[in-house]
Parts: sequence; C-alpha cells; structure tokens
Amino acid sequence: MSQAILLPDRVMTLFPDPKPLTAFALTDHKNRVFDLAGLKGKWSFLFFGFTHCPDICPTTLAILARARDNIAKSKVGAEDVQFVFISVDPNRDTAGKLGQYVAYFDTTFLGVTGNDAQIGNLAGQLGAAYQVAFTPGTENYPVYHAATVFLVDPRARYHAMFTPPLDAETISRRFKVLRELEGAKAT
Amino acid sequence: MRRRHPVLVGLILALAFTAATSEEAGVSVRDAWVRESPPGVAMMAGYMALRNNTSRSQVLVAARSPDFETVMIHRTIVKDGMASMVHASQIEIAPNASLLFAPGGYHLMLLNPKRTLRAGNRVDVNLEFRGGLVLPVAFEIRK
Repeated sequence: MSQAILLPDRVMTLFPDPKPLTAFALTDHKNRVFDLAGLKGKWSFLFFGFTHCPDICPTTLAILARARDNIAKSKVGAEDVQFVFISVDPNRDTAGKLGQYVAYFDTTFLGVTGNDAQIGNLAGQLGAAYQVAFTPGTENYPVYHAATVFLVDPRARYHAMFTPPLDAETISRRFKVLRELEGAKAT
Repeated sequence: MRRRHPVLVGLILALAFTAATSEEAGVSVRDAWVRESPPGVAMMAGYMALRNNTSRSQVLVAARSPDFETVMIHRTIVKDGMASMVHASQIEIAPNASLLFAPGGYHLMLLNPKRTLRAGNRVDVNLEFRGGLVLPVAFEIRK
C-alpha cells in the first residue's frame, strides 16, 4: 500500500509510491487529443473545474499562474511543467471558450474536456469527485468538483496533491524540492 | 431610596438611546474588491471584510448593485471532497465581530455585469441589513 505523507505546511500530500495512470482520452482547447502520452515527459498540475465558477476556479487558476511564474523564474525553469484545467462541464465549456478562459490566466495553460465517461476515467484515477447537476433549459445549474490540485510526474504517475487553502509560494517551493529529489533519483 | 429609581431608570434609558443612535452606522467594510473575470465569463465574485462595531448582532439579508443583474450571497463549501456554492439567505455578524468574505469562502456572487468591467474600475454594491440599514460599498475590480 502506498502511504500518503501530508507535509508540515498542510498543503502538499506526497505519495512516496506514486500510482501510474492508465490510458485516458480527452480533447484540449485546440481540439487536439490529450491523453496519457500528453502527461509523459512533463510535470503536470491538474485542476478540475468549470468556467461558470466565480470563486474557487479563478482563485485557484490565479494561484497556479503565480506558481508557474515562480517556477519559470527559477534556475530549472518551467519548460518541463504544464498546467491543465479540466472542465467537468463540457455542455457549456466548448473548446473555444476553454481556450479563451485558460489563456486569461496564463497563455501556456491548457484547457481540456471530454464527455462524462472520458472525464470520469481520469477523475476516477485521481480520486477527483465531481458532479454536474445539469437541468435542461437552466442556464446556471450547479457543478460540484474537487478543490484539489493534482500533480502528475513525468512518468505519468500520480505523485502529489495540493489541498486548499492554496498559495503560490508554497506550491512552487514544494514543487522545487520534489523535482530536485526526483531528478537526483533518475540519474 | 425609592426616590433614586426614576433617576437610575432615566440614566439607563439615556445610555440605551446613545448606544442605539451610534449603532446606525455601526457596520463598516474594508478591502472590498471584485476579481476581474476572464473573457466570456459573466460571473464575478466580490470579497470584503465586514465589521460589526455594535453590541448587537447584525444580519446581512441582501445585496444589490446597479452594475449587475443579480447579486447573491454565496459560500463555497467543500463537502465529500467536492467544492460547491451554497446560497446563504442571510448572514449574522456577532456583536463587535468581523466576518470575512474571502476566496474559497463567503463571497458575493455578481451575475451578468451591465457594463464591461476591468481591473481598476469600481462598482457600487448596497448591503442590506435586517432592520433597514443599507450600507453602500464601492468595490474595486482587481486582477
């Protein structure tokens, strides 16, 4: 059994025995396939949400944009890091809308979505609960989603998670240490 | 002894009256801001620090703004690992206490802005309290 370690700042939980993710298929905001191969060779920060979300989604994406700035400014940079916003509300979040939305926070951010089974596949592997209370004819139906940021390593293994209250400095600082440790292991 | 009572009662009434009048403007707000929305999104969230300077509970019952079609008092809650928003029909602020509207918690949900709002703009929101007190607050749009 893989043990989870909640680090002292109570923001990052680390899995010393990371779980390899299995095949999934989603579509990004440029209508390209986003699948397991898209997670390989890069550290990926994943966040599930929807664009009709006034509080927690823009708050989290703004924090992730600042964390990315911090990582980009560091010596190793952000070349091997990607940030992916996964919309659980494909009914309203079309590729065009998603692209506009994520680019507002950071032009490197990726927006992806899919049908319920496709989203459920990846969400299930990460333990990311969500629920869309879609009511036909209603413009503002409620959507429930995980408030957690998931970190997948360059071998497409679920390596760590960040839980609110999040802050950019803690995320970038913790990530820096984790990347150094993993880099040392690989060589 | 009996003659003192009317004086004492009068004094208490006078004190009570003074307290009541100074409580008129007894709720204050600072750091009121609204997060700028990404393009194509007609939903924003407003945050602030509310302070009840009075010795009685104050109950926020509604918020309205000429700059938005709808304003609702919401709270983000995380339940069973999922975040969701719940509508708060009213919020009580305890005597001499503060209540924070902050990201990930209480917020004003501002729906359908009537004009384009960008960082640096200001919007007016009227906070309505039980008993008829209306507090006009200027919120700054921030990135």
